[in-house]
Amino acid sequence: MSNDPMHQFKIEPIIEGRQIGIIDTTFTNSSLWMVLTVIAIVAFLALTARKKLIPGRMQSVGELSYEFVADMVRSSIGPEAMKFFPFVFTLFFFVLFSNILGMNPYGFTTTSHLAVTIALGLFTVGMVVVVGIMKHGLGFFKLFAPAGLPLPMYLIIIPIEIISFLSRPLSLAVRLFANMLAGHVMLKVFAIFIAFLVGKGGIMAAGAIVPILGTTAIIALEFLVAFLQAFVFAILACVYLNDAFHVEH
Amino acid sequence: MKTPQDLDDLEGRIEAAQAKRPKPVEDNGQGSLLGMAWRLSTELVVAVMVGGALGYGVDYFAKTAPWFMVGGLFLGLATGVRNTFRLAERMDQVAKDAKQASDARQGE
Repeated sequence: MSNDPMHQFKIEPIIEGRQIGIIDTTFTNSSLWMVLTVIAIVAFLALTARKKLIPGRMQSVGELSYEFVADMVRSSIGPEAMKFFPFVFTLFFFVLFSNILGMNPYGFTTTSHLAVTIALGLFTVGMVVVVGIMKHGLGFFKLFAPAGLPLPMYLIIIPIEIISFLSRPLSLAVRLFANMLAGHVMLKVFAIFIAFLVGKGGIMAAGAIVPILGTTAIIALEFLVAFLQAFVFAILACVYLNDAFHVEH
Repeated sequence: MKTPQDLDDLEGRIEAAQAKRPKPVEDNGQGSLLGMAWRLSTELVVAVMVGGALGYGVDYFAKTAPWFMVGGLFLGLATGVRNTFRLAERMDQVAKDAKQASDARQGE
């Protein structure tokens, strides 16, 4: 293992691929962990999806997770948006499971790469645009021009609204990526400190108790952040989808 | 044999015990304070980045560097500040509503 805290984010090819147009088909460690994430989610659902009237332990975990996301969609958009429930559910569980899998030793956190999170963000906001135009036609673009302002104000308001709209995918992506990156770097730095102090020996080795406690605390915090960021990502996706449903706000 | 009398008693004791416990942190649907802080800060930073990038893009194609980028940065800053304030106001409102709801529950 390297003692460089950034080493854990290195992308390494596993199966060399070819360049097809702008797409590089190399299967990397990041792709591997994304596949593992999907397998973990499918396994989770297969284990928890039972049809007993009185749910057992596993079944209630599955039902709770369903209701958690369903409530989120219903309360932030409305019952008419339940057809987007599968999308939000997938988004939430993909982010949650990749964050959690990344907490494993030797794990790779796919969400610690901007390329991954921005793809999720762009897809979400792209869908808002498509749904909005399907539902409201060109009226969707009223989102950029709130009614009832004096005419000169539109010169400023329209660019501001456009920037504000375009910053959504980026803010979704940056928040998730920065949280995961910062957390894992912090964890690694503290952990390296333990090895360093123990290596010094003597009284310094006894001092290693401080970073050991610190690392333990950060691990707990990171599990919280893993859940919280998945939640924030999903709820913001709902908030943005809400714009597609209700343009006049 | 339990009688309704006993159950009323029990209820009273449970309430007394619950009153002694520290109140659970109100979950107001925004996640923790840390999550709120991250949301506010990214909102501010990202808008400036997008404004600057849009301006840079216009400059790149229209060969007017650096004017649109400078304008874009300012517009981005304005957007960021506006969005941050709006978000903060909304968070305040949600927190207030949650507090009122919990006060109403206490009053029952």
